Amino acid sequence: MSFSATLRDVTLKYRDTDALADVNLDLEAGKIYGLLGRNGAGKTSLLSLLAAFRKPTGGEVLVGGEPVWENAGIVSRVALIREGGDFDDSDSVKSTIETGQIRPAFDTAYALKLADRFELPLKKKVRELSRGKRSILAAICGLAARAELTMFDEVHLGMDAPTRDAFYKELLAEYMDRPHTVILSTHLIDEVANYLEEVVIVDKGRILRHEEVEVFQNMGATLTGPAAAVDAIAAGLEVLAEQQLGGTKSATVAALEPGTRERAAAAGLEIGPVGLQDLFIHLTEPNRNGA
Amino acid sequence: MSSLANLSLPNRRFALGLGLAGEGLKYFRYWIAAAVVLAFLGPLALSLSTEIELSTWFYTANVGKWFTAFVAGGFLYALVPNMIAAGLTRRELSAAMGVFGLLWSIAIGVLVFAGLLVERVFYDAMGWTQGIQLNDTITTLGSWGETAAFAAVYPLMYLAYFAAGAAIGAAAYRWEGSGWLLLVPVLPVVFSLDNALYDTEPFGPGWMGFLGRFMDDWGRAAVLAAIVAVALVLAVAARRILIDIPLRSKKA
Repeated sequence: MSFSATLRDVTLKYRDTDALADVNLDLEAGKIYGLLGRNGAGKTSLLSLLAAFRKPTGGEVLVGGEPVWENAGIVSRVALIREGGDFDDSDSVKSTIETGQIRPAFDTAYALKLADRFELPLKKKVRELSRGKRSILAAICGLAARAELTMFDEVHLGMDAPTRDAFYKELLAEYMDRPHTVILSTHLIDEVANYLEEVVIVDKGRILRHEEVEVFQNMGATLTGPAAAVDAIAAGLEVLAEQQLGGTKSATVAALEPGTRERAAAAGLEIGPVGLQDLFIHLTEPNRNGA
Repeated sequence: MSSLANLSLPNRRFALGLGLAGEGLKYFRYWIAAAVVLAFLGPLALSLSTEIELSTWFYTANVGKWFTAFVAGGFLYALVPNMIAAGLTRRELSAAMGVFGLLWSIAIGVLVFAGLLVERVFYDAMGWTQGIQLNDTITTLGSWGETAAFAAVYPLMYLAYFAAGAAIGAAAYRWEGSGWLLLVPVLPVVFSLDNALYDTEPFGPGWMGFLGRFMDDWGRAAVLAAIVAVALVLAVAARRILIDIPLRSKKA
């Protein structure tokens, strides 16, 4: 069994500031979601509500069809892993892993197996770990939670590239072995794009888009070729992004009609899918400089 | 925490409370052992230069009150993010802290009770007087019954100090930067009751015991009842602060 997640007219205020405003969102059970947004967009706030880390100022948060707030049967099967983990730094790594046993479904043997694989020193104190090792510990605790809704909030930021790759593969293996709902919040968009089934984009405390990945990918195309030919085909289309190197130009355009696609092919242009990251940058206003 | 292995959802709050008490005592076992050793060796060393007429365990037991408040506040402050992120509800955490507080207070209280009685044997054997300082005078615990009665209230006092520490720890997490100000109303009340019970000078600044003047005429039973009431109020306050506490955002 895996959990669905629903937010109904949800608002979350920090003093006078709206972190989230009138958010409505339905996430089906058993899928891998990407949660994208710029810094301060409201991603972490949204995840905090789903994990009952915070109470909404208004609205309703349901997980598995039930209110999540103070619901032991639900929160014990929901895991939100934040970057660096929520650990007692004075605990040893082994003790931190054992704390996970508060969840009846926690798989200690699996956690210790992963700790061995990722070379985590069990006897070391958490405060003595490097940022990367701390991220690995957090990820291990999330995977071993065997939760029905597992959320990773930038948990892989401290990991190096090979470790991130190993983490994604382990996450996918665990998902295939035991279908459940996964939400990945990340800025490393292209790195996780292949694992995602649906993408939710949060911007300024609101849900900007929620679509299947294919829908995003079909929102446009990348045209590459001689600059003049690209300009001729792109004229009149909504250009999301442009790059030019010498005489070669690449333009990411929105909504490429079949006729236009044929003309582009006839002009010798290379037609590629739109990158999720390009689309994300475009959709969240490229001219706005965030933190 | 080995006590958490194989637990089920309905009983996990109790298992956690039991585990916290066990882990707490285990974590501070060397401190506790050092305090016990010092409480017996201290007067022995002092006897070389002066006559012993005061109970060392009286001071050890009073330090235990501060220690208990510190353990409750420190543990709760650390446990809030740790346990909620591990899938515990706030209600379960407050129940676990209740079990922890009861077991901790009983364990430390029994240790102090035993310490005072053993000290009685020790002092009698050495020909010393087991006394406590009352304001400017020393009151001797004349009989075994007086020693036992004096020692018997410590578990209750520890419970009151535990509840005070928990309320301040929860407030300090919830209202970062200003939560500790809960010390201001809590400490005078607890100190004053403590003062009234023993009719001794309180620890800390003298003004904190000012409420004691209103309790001078209370009987011991009334003071004990007031301590029970204050411990309950503080426990309820700690639970109320905890019950909808938000987890802080992580700092980069």
